[in-house]
Amino acid sequence: MKLTVDRTLCDGNGVCMGIAPDVFDVDDDLVLHIADEIPGDPVVHAQIRQAVTSCPVLALTLEE
Amino acid sequence: MVGNTSQTIVVAGGSLAGHTVVAELDRHGFTGDVVWVRGPEGTAPYSRPALSKELIRGRVTDEAIRLPAPREYGLRLRIMDLAVCARLDPDADRVLVTPAAEAGRETGGEWIPFDALFVCTGMRARLPKGFAGLPGVHCLRTLADAGRIRERLAGRPRAVVVGAGLVGSEMAASLRSCGLPVELVDQGRLPMEPVFGAELGRFSLERHHAHGVTTRMPATVTGLSAAGPEGPVSLTFDDGQETTAGLVILGLGAVTACDWLDGGGLDLSDGLACDAALRTARPNVLAAGDVANWRNPVFGERMRVEHWSNASAQARHAVGSWLAGQEGREPPAFADVPYFWSDQYGLKYQMVGHARGHDEVRVEEAGGEGYPFVTYLKDGRIVAAAGVNAPRAVMRMKARIQSEGTTTQGVHA
Repeated sequence: MKLTVDRTLCDGNGVCMGIAPDVFDVDDDLVLHIADEIPGDPVVHAQIRQAVTSCPVLALTLEE
Repeated sequence: MVGNTSQTIVVAGGSLAGHTVVAELDRHGFTGDVVWVRGPEGTAPYSRPALSKELIRGRVTDEAIRLPAPREYGLRLRIMDLAVCARLDPDADRVLVTPAAEAGRETGGEWIPFDALFVCTGMRARLPKGFAGLPGVHCLRTLADAGRIRERLAGRPRAVVVGAGLVGSEMAASLRSCGLPVELVDQGRLPMEPVFGAELGRFSLERHHAHGVTTRMPATVTGLSAAGPEGPVSLTFDDGQETTAGLVILGLGAVTACDWLDGGGLDLSDGLACDAALRTARPNVLAAGDVANWRNPVFGERMRVEHWSNASAQARHAVGSWLAGQEGREPPAFADVPYFWSDQYGLKYQMVGHARGHDEVRVEEAGGEGYPFVTYLKDGRIVAAAGVNAPRAVMRMKARIQSEGTTTQGVHA
């Protein structure tokens, strides 16, 4: 799973963080941090897919 | 799989919930027919939150906010644009689909039988009679609304925003960022007070004033008239005062767009009533998004949620509920902590939970700037939290509300 964020689009809206808090972390400067190691848990993988398709600014890309 | 190839599923609604239902059916390997009735807008699905944010400010184009669709669906998809579901047969599993322009008239159209119907028709802007159709007077619900507003921005006309809820407050901030003189009007004392309460309402009012937006609160618009096709618009208020504007934005909330189901044997008293798994009284009719009224086990009460994250999450869940039924399984409840955000003057307002009926408020500071952070309690339990530029604190509360609610209600989320 390769997860990338387009920082020109990301506005730190936090939707991804609400769905997959173990993977996405938006800091108080509204900068998104993506976990270096993505957990192998299929539940987390489903959350990641949901977060990617739910991004309201279409900033996330996932390659499986 | 998943159903069989002779099944037909009708998806009513062309925004995020409908889009997600179609994508989820496809992802689960459904190979039957899907008739996607995308509604009156005549556009492919797009990101609605961007309208009052990036799009109005001209930071993105219409094309950039289109929701990505798979290059190819495995299911057989028939897309009906500029068409609406106009009627649900109370005695048979079929819907009447008519051209959007003829909605309300039942001449013509096509009855489409279904094995399952997903109702994702969302909401439409609330427009009091006499306020609609005046030149220079706009609501903001659709991409077309946003386009019409943008056409008016070039001369930087004076703008009056009526309604200081989430959309109104955000529009006031976005129009101000575009350099327009802006006045913000509301019947209440403070912007967004019904949503966030007094503390963040006061904070928001100060931000509007600091950025040069004038406010008229509390005030009620009693009259609107336009001098001609190019305006200006005259507004009169309940205290007899008047003002004029080149652009008037009506942010008066929205109403559920499920009146077409009237007579279909379903409970429409507030949106479309569903069970905890998002099935209506007709188990093969399900709902997702703004229209869905369901009992959320995290809070032990019925609610509707008019926010982005809810639409996609419910769409996923509703598809899962239908599939469970196909396989003879009892579907789980949709147990979720609502989340929304609002962008104003570079600040991110965020809220999680369900604050309605709270009986206690605690105000602290959080985030790098120490802005107000509010927790809302009901019967001693935290039911919601809101902050400004404090996503970590807000999301910690989301997890806490979810786990405590799940424990209290004895539900496996």
